[in-house]
Amino acid sequence: MSFTGPGRYREESAKMLRDKPEMRHSVTQATRTFDDHRTHAFGQVDGERWRDWARDVKTHLLSNLDIYLEQAEESLERNGAHVHWAETGADALAILEKIVEDNDVKRVVKAKSMLSEELAINAHLESLGVSVFETDLGEYIIQLLGEPPSHIVGPAIHRSLDDCRRLFHEHFGTPLDAEPDALAAAARIALRQEFLAADLGISGGNFLAADTGTVALIENEGNIRLSTSLPRIHVAFVGIEKLVPTLGDVAGFVQLTTRSATGQPIGNYVSLIQGPRREDEPDGPEEVHVVLVDNGRTNLLADDTAWEALRCVRCGACLNICPVYRQTGGHAYGWPYSGPIGAIIAPGLLGLEKAMPLPHASSLCGACVDVCPVRIPIPEILVHWRERAVEEGLVPLAETVGLKAYTAAAERPVVFGAAGAALRYAPLELGGRALPILSGWMQERSAPKPSPKSFMQLWKEGLE
Amino acid sequence: MSMAEGPEGGGSEDRPRPHHNDRAGARARILGKVRDAITKRRREPHPGHFGGWRDQAPEDPVEQFIRLFKAAGGEVCRFDLRESASEWVRNFIGDYATVSLGTIARREAQHGARAVRIEHTDPADAEVGVSMAYGAVAETGSLIMIPQDGRRAQLLPPVHVVWVEERTVFPMLIDAMAALAKELPSAVGLHSGPSKSADIGQILVKGVHGPGRLIAVLVDDKGVQW
Repeated sequence: MSFTGPGRYREESAKMLRDKPEMRHSVTQATRTFDDHRTHAFGQVDGERWRDWARDVKTHLLSNLDIYLEQAEESLERNGAHVHWAETGADALAILEKIVEDNDVKRVVKAKSMLSEELAINAHLESLGVSVFETDLGEYIIQLLGEPPSHIVGPAIHRSLDDCRRLFHEHFGTPLDAEPDALAAAARIALRQEFLAADLGISGGNFLAADTGTVALIENEGNIRLSTSLPRIHVAFVGIEKLVPTLGDVAGFVQLTTRSATGQPIGNYVSLIQGPRREDEPDGPEEVHVVLVDNGRTNLLADDTAWEALRCVRCGACLNICPVYRQTGGHAYGWPYSGPIGAIIAPGLLGLEKAMPLPHASSLCGACVDVCPVRIPIPEILVHWRERAVEEGLVPLAETVGLKAYTAAAERPVVFGAAGAALRYAPLELGGRALPILSGWMQERSAPKPSPKSFMQLWKEGLE
Repeated sequence: MSMAEGPEGGGSEDRPRPHHNDRAGARARILGKVRDAITKRRREPHPGHFGGWRDQAPEDPVEQFIRLFKAAGGEVCRFDLRESASEWVRNFIGDYATVSLGTIARREAQHGARAVRIEHTDPADAEVGVSMAYGAVAETGSLIMIPQDGRRAQLLPPVHVVWVEERTVFPMLIDAMAALAKELPSAVGLHSGPSKSADIGQILVKGVHGPGRLIAVLVDDKGVQW
């Protein structure tokens, strides 16, 4: 099973809720845990200041991206790494293919990387006859299942312990009541052999410091350190928006990202990779390649509203808090980046038409913007794409009138709050007449009775 | 600006695909698109160094390191004397049949003032690995591992013992980065606890790929260096 594409979002999310109710339970449980940990971790620091700082560094970076890209290239080359530039996904795959051919690569170990999902690297390597093993435990589980990841940080959160027990029973003969420790041990043994045998390791890059040419990678299992240390060649795919000006900035961003993703002060392992092993180092890769990938990112950068989405550090916090994501999980979104962040970057990376209807896969409740560590105005960008979709004739006209009014209100929090309050307290006897603002799609339904409490009040109190 | 009217007037898919090693062309096109995108905007300033801002009063760096490292599942043994720390390490690894020593520890074991006979096993086959840390970070509870000591010994054995001197505990990660930046090796690893994962049913397991036990031997000896 691979991604279905965003175009099937409505059907896929309905199917998910109808056919896989247990999946919703797993996703809700996991995302609530992530979010509880994040809340706790940000309670220990001056979170508002951290977020302002991170927003400002990324804004500075993006407004000077040309300079920093050139500096990063120069630094990496000084370190002895090879730098490649990939304008499209096809270019990125061609660069990898050349490295594979030049070095007669047969076996690849892979660290978890969302960009590698975006580029569909595994399928390409397999088409070249190369064996590729995902080494992150969650990614390994879904690779065995033949499924794509459903969450940026926890790719297998849609699968329960019992699902894993059945899977490992089939593949490794572990008992059907095996504890997670025993399952992890089976995976460790299987993958240890692959780490030792692999010719090439593939990773993404959480950050790339321009001043030192450092690819920074955050993880908990040690599989990224192994994938980037043991094979003779390491290839890192890095989106051009992943740069930060300095290694000192990396010190802030690794902490911000893990606090936001899992609530840890820092990931168990952070790799800071400059280039190939040196003479005074007994081991490590002989070749390091860094592939700088555009693949639509410059489209986002050129957009006067949506460019802010490029600040994203892929922590998954907006997925974890999102009432829509929590119900459907990630697969319904139909491409690697799900949840609110996926909905706002899809139009840039895929084109607006292909991204539809993801900008509509949101209630615009704004919970995501409250947790975003780099303060991306996600609802504003969602509305922006909805408006663009209207202008380009990708949405039925009837849905557009209410949207304009919504935008006008939502851009002014006081009005927005007042409008909600007005609906909650207004007499509901409308005599079957639809609220004027909702005409069009209101004709076949009756107006629901507004809740005595606002959604945001209930959500904060723990409503599911 | 919409996708349809991208900076160069048409999606990249409209152009013939360059041959797969047209590096200069791809580089120029990406940089050109970036410049087109940002040229109309202000170049915003950098906000300055990350300050690790916290509400609580600052903590003693060594105490903070120990607290966070333990909270992440790490173990700490603290010694005032280098000699007692060495003895503890010798006793600890004596319980294992196969030991892998990092480059620095191996040199010490063979040629150091307190030379001991320890048979070195390849890290892939060893039950325990012994390494030297470049230093530690209080703010994050991390050990700083450098590749001169050998990465495989830091990662492959299921138990990892790391020697770290208290005087090398940096209060903040940015301090450690500043020190490292002066002579960066090819790869630095920050190890802040044993390998762990919650990918199976959100239940925490240790020792998934890296060591399941991580022990910091924290030495506060003002005397000769080990």
